[in-house]
Amino acid sequence: MPLSKHHSLIKELESIQAAMEAPLDAETRTLLEKAYALEKWPIAQLISIFERNNTDSLIKRHAISQYLAANADTYTRQATVIGLTGTPGAGKSSLTGELCLSLLKHQPDMSIAVLAIDPSSQESGGALLGDRTRMQLPVNDKRVFFRSQASHLDLGGMGKSTFHVMRLLRRLFDLVIIETVGIGQSEIEVQRLSDHTVLVMQPLAGDQVQFMKAGIMEVPNTFVINKCDEDELARKSKHLLNASLKLAKIHVRNEESQEQSIFMTSATKRRGIDELMTHLMAVREQQQVDQVAAQEEYFLNKWIQQAYGEFGLSLAEYFNKSSEDSGTFEQKELRYKSQIANFLTKLS
Amino acid sequence: MSEKNTAHIMFDKDGKPKSDRPWIFRTYAGHTNVWASNELYRSNLAKGQTGLSIALDLPTQCGYSSDHDIAKPEIGKVGVPINSLDDMAILFDNIPLDQMNTSMTINGTSMWLLSLYIALAEEQGVNIADLKGTTQNDLIKEYLARGTYIFPPEDSIRLIVDMYEYCLHNVPSWNASNICSYHLQEAGATPVQELAFALTTAITILDAVKERNCFNEEEFERCVGRISYFVNAGMRFVEEVCKMRAFCEMWDEITQERYGVKNPKFRRFRYGVQVNSLGLTEEQPENNAWRILIETLGVTLSRNARCRALQLPAWNEALSLPRPWDQQWSLRLQQIMAYETDLLEYPDLFDGSHVIESKVADLKEQAYSEINKIIDMGGGVEAVKTGYMKSALVASQGERMGKLVNGEQVVVGKNRWTDGIESPLVNDSDGGIFMVDADAAQKTIDALNKTRAARDETRAQAALKRLGEEAKQSKNLMEVSIECAKARVTTGEWSDTLREAFGEFRPPTGVEGQALSIESETLDAVRKKVDAFIEQHGYRPRMVVGKPGLDGHSNGAEMIAVAARHAGFDVIYFGIRLSAVDIVQSALEENVDVIGISLLSGSHNEITDQLFDELEKNGAKDSIPVILGGIIPTPDFDSLHAKGVKRIFTPKDFDLMSVMNDIMDVINTQKNG
Ligand code: B12
Ligand SMILES: Nc1nc2c(ncn2[C@@H]2O[C@H](COP(=O)(O)OP(=O)(O)OP(=O)(O)O)[C@@H](O)[C@H]2O)c(=O)[nH]1
Ligand SMILES: [Mg+2]
Repeated sequence: MPLSKHHSLIKELESIQAAMEAPLDAETRTLLEKAYALEKWPIAQLISIFERNNTDSLIKRHAISQYLAANADTYTRQATVIGLTGTPGAGKSSLTGELCLSLLKHQPDMSIAVLAIDPSSQESGGALLGDRTRMQLPVNDKRVFFRSQASHLDLGGMGKSTFHVMRLLRRLFDLVIIETVGIGQSEIEVQRLSDHTVLVMQPLAGDQVQFMKAGIMEVPNTFVINKCDEDELARKSKHLLNASLKLAKIHVRNEESQEQSIFMTSATKRRGIDELMTHLMAVREQQQVDQVAAQEEYFLNKWIQQAYGEFGLSLAEYFNKSSEDSGTFEQKELRYKSQIANFLTKLS
Repeated sequence: MSEKNTAHIMFDKDGKPKSDRPWIFRTYAGHTNVWASNELYRSNLAKGQTGLSIALDLPTQCGYSSDHDIAKPEIGKVGVPINSLDDMAILFDNIPLDQMNTSMTINGTSMWLLSLYIALAEEQGVNIADLKGTTQNDLIKEYLARGTYIFPPEDSIRLIVDMYEYCLHNVPSWNASNICSYHLQEAGATPVQELAFALTTAITILDAVKERNCFNEEEFERCVGRISYFVNAGMRFVEEVCKMRAFCEMWDEITQERYGVKNPKFRRFRYGVQVNSLGLTEEQPENNAWRILIETLGVTLSRNARCRALQLPAWNEALSLPRPWDQQWSLRLQQIMAYETDLLEYPDLFDGSHVIESKVADLKEQAYSEINKIIDMGGGVEAVKTGYMKSALVASQGERMGKLVNGEQVVVGKNRWTDGIESPLVNDSDGGIFMVDADAAQKTIDALNKTRAARDETRAQAALKRLGEEAKQSKNLMEVSIECAKARVTTGEWSDTLREAFGEFRPPTGVEGQALSIESETLDAVRKKVDAFIEQHGYRPRMVVGKPGLDGHSNGAEMIAVAARHAGFDVIYFGIRLSAVDIVQSALEENVDVIGISLLSGSHNEITDQLFDELEKNGAKDSIPVILGGIIPTPDFDSLHAKGVKRIFTPKDFDLMSVMNDIMDVINTQKNG
């Protein structure tokens, strides 16, 4: 970028920063109120703000985040975020659908948001979002909200804005379930934004364990072997999984016993769903540590790296030492941008 | 005639030259209500027609009584509504059941319709062993192409096997099911896919029959003999001749090798045909008459592989349901072919042709390899559940559309020689279009209420309870269904009881991961618009493609969804048979920029009302533009636009990228005021 561009960038950033001083506009405040009352379209419109990649949305995201923080006694929800990942076709969507139905039945006051991510076409950039086909959720029920999202050619099974949308959904719902793109041998990033990760596998497939062994993937909190339509299959699969976990010397995080974190389900025969649901509810009860800060740091670093590469990261580390680290994600993002722009202009 | 040149002559047992009897001429009929349809059948029979081919309306096909919300826009539209045995009695009033050959295009509720037919015969004192006919009852192709499934595949197969078991013992001349490749070709299947998927279906059914172990060897052979087919024939008529010959040979081989059927009579490939309608055009519709004629050749030329029955679409196929005159014109084609030509005088014309033999062998080889692949993957049911076959069909359909757009496949009047003098045929007072009397539905609902009020409620409830219980056991459900019929249970009640027991099923849509091969200037232009949109708004345009109501025509919606992704949209598509409420809710949750509705069943007026009502309720009526595509008659355009529909697309909008271009314009107009 030529130097003059950096000068104008700094100007632009200043004007954005100025715009961020303004309080949340009345219209968006109303939207937020309605969204908190679980009205579908307002929620959807807010999600769009958190998804979009432009200055207006950035400013609004900041204002909303700040407003939510300032009004924490009105906006009290703080969802547990569950990341659901696994091989393509393992039954993630079907299972999510069944889990929701089970939750609605047993926890009638709970509000749930599902965010399902599908791959984008390498060629056109467009995406076919089809996870709805597999979830037969009740219609016009405020307690459950479903949204699809395209991965937009990002690796890691999620989209660029998944993290941002999660920030919003966390404050609007009691439970957020994020279904990633079916993973192959790639890293799963969903752990970075969820409080609890569930790995969904097909019966008698030991390959996931191989990934973990190779260290490509961190260990999930809960294992689910779906499509265990018959008892025999369930038994065999569980045995196989246990054996390969042992062989690979893998221990499940935060769990006293491995046994307690392996579930056998059948989404089509509705088996093992209530057990899994109860387990996840227990997780929610126990969840104490606030992981939000760590999640934010990870995604901030990821953004810096994408925008400025390794060099940007090292600069960021340097700036970090010298500046205070508070404010919304958007403020931090802008701070880095202007620090880097300033740094570059000084360099010359 | 010289003594030695006799190979072209067929002789009867007395040594006299003979010729074949023609195939059965069928006309698929039924609409409005049982009174109107009964009148229609009786007049067709009076004209010398010997069999009945009954079209049922979509609620009946999908297992809803006429007073169900989802049924209302569809009552009597594309077939006759049947709610109870009382309706059935009126439908067949003054039609002698024991002399009829009755074919019913019914699938999800085929056991119910057969039970009604049998109950009617029993109440009339007709010996049910004398009943002759067919229930279509091929659920695999419903999941793949036709869309009137209800239950999960395993349960559907069980019902089919129940019917084979019951019929073989009680109604021996009834074809419990009819394996269909017709619909597969309409959904895009290539000849190889048609062969492979249809034969896989037959194998799936016969394997299930074998597993039930309800027949001795002789009975099983007869059961195999009862399997008949319903096939398609397209414009590449030489290839179709070969496909039909391949079908016959493969069926003979499969029944012999896989099932050990000894009697060659039971290995014969018996089939009826409807010729291809997918390729019939809205543009210059008069050309379709020639197409129908040519398509007829494929299934009549080979004596060794000639159809048993034939029904033809009409020249105005892509405009609306055929009117009586349109059907008559198509019937005349068959009569001319059979009676004016010498076709039926000769033995097989192609025996010994190297060209035909080689082509047949080639088709067979490819089809066998596909069949084996599917069997290795776990068989027909598995290939439905994984979406393997459905994806293959969507891919073929996408390829076909691509070839139409780039002109590789010539269709006269559509993508070549498009200028012409307008056809006087469409200038009739009714515009060449058939309209159903909308008020006739009330009569059907009144009759339903009357049946409910008059029936012995205890008997009806007891029958339903028994049905529910036996469904959960592994009993044959035919008897209890016949009892339900006699107890005046309704179509909705019978189906709901089994829904409760089996659950419902939504098959894969097959659209995921599909790519189009369309490269054109229009595509470049659309992608530029998409890029500009992203630049301006910070996200990709989002569209939901919706199929509300009971309409199972999915091709159009699938192609639009795949095309939108190709253009660079984020598209939400989640299959057929959704309610207007489902679609509006998804549009709101997904915060889309446009709602695209696809409707071909003729219920677009009612369903657009439902949609706009629902949008209005959510305060989104003027914020999300709605566009519509499918079989929408021109006279309806004005009122649809007045309701708020922004753009209407019909089959002549086959250039998918210019459709996308128009959609971008609709979105941009909405966004920019
Ligand atoms: C193929 C076909 C079938 C196939 C469908 C396979 C499938 N999975 O889709 C099969 C054989 C299963 C079938 C069955 C039936 N069919 Co049919 N079928 C057709 C046929 C021949 C072609 C339709 C088609 O697929 N075209 C190809 C696709 C790509 O084109 P399209 O859908 O028109 O879509 C294009 C445009 O319209 C537009 N578009 C469409 N939707 C949308 C949506 C959006 C958002 C946009 C932007 C654009 C758009 O863009 C598309 C691309 O060009 C038509 C007649 C005809 N030639 O049009 C009859 C037709 C639609 N069928 C008809 C009938 C009656 C039936 C049955 C009800 C018969 C019965 N009684 O059982 C059954 C029941 C099906 C059901 N469950 O609903 C009637 C409907 C009559 C009416 N509307 O009044 C028609 C018109 C035939 C006729 N003249 O009688 N059918
Ligand atoms: N037999 C059986 N099939 C299942 C089960 N759960 C899901 N399926 C089937 O598996 C297929 C894939 O299911 P989905 O829920 O779409 O799986 P997914 O992991 O979300 O798939 P992607 O999002 O495409 O990666 C479908 O055909 C389901 O019907 C199960 O418990 N048993
Ligand atoms: Mg999924």
